[in-house]
Amino acid sequence: MTEEDTRMADLTSYPDKRNDTGVGPNHGSTYRTPRWVKVFGIILIVALVLVFLVQHLVFEGMGGHMP
Amino acid sequence: MIMSPRLHKFVLTAHITSSVGWLGSVAGFLVLAVAGLTSQDSQLIRAAYLAMELVASFVIVPLSLASLLTGLVQALGTKWGLFRHYWIVFKLVINIASSLLLLVHMQPITHLADIAARTTLARGDYFLMRVQLVADATYAVVALLVATTLSVYKPRGMTRYGWSKQRKQRMVSQP
Repeated sequence: MTEEDTRMADLTSYPDKRNDTGVGPNHGSTYRTPRWVKVFGIILIVALVLVFLVQHLVFEGMGGHMP
Repeated sequence: MIMSPRLHKFVLTAHITSSVGWLGSVAGFLVLAVAGLTSQDSQLIRAAYLAMELVASFVIVPLSLASLLTGLVQALGTKWGLFRHYWIVFKLVINIASSLLLLVHMQPITHLADIAARTTLARGDYFLMRVQLVADATYAVVALLVATTLSVYKPRGMTRYGWSKQRKQRMVSQP
């Protein structure tokens, strides 16, 4: 397996080679969710709820898709 | 299963092309949706909705499905995996949600194109439906920009599943 084979959308190597857990070195025995994941997850959930509310309460509540 | 370098390059090219093409075509769709909503010119409004249906049916839907499919192959065919890294999981969620939103909202797009083909649309006709298309395209552009940013930056962070897999592999390779 070459390094090239493990690349995805750019030239960054597979994270094994950059010691990736998102919370520091990989050698710890406890798992912790990275902070950016929690923040991003909250933003994503809030965005999905807002989209749902706008679609179903505003548009469908005011007349629906069809005239 | 890990792909050969040649196959990997091919799938990667297909994934980048379809994903960036999807973003570009949605941006074009958004411009048409805004023109259809705000223009005073009835011919331009008519042309915009007819073009939007064509772009959605023959460009956006195929590119979204191609992006999802090549992304799945790319993740499952390399060491990255589908559920090992948070950024890949988030991209998967964004991709599936955007594709579903698109497929669900093909109905109003087709409906407006049918009306535009049969009659002249005045500025205020079907106003809510037209606003909804602008809103849908805006959500999609934002979501796809976030997905593109995640692909480029690849923020660090393994899922619990990826972390335990990595630990097991380390224990096997370093007894």
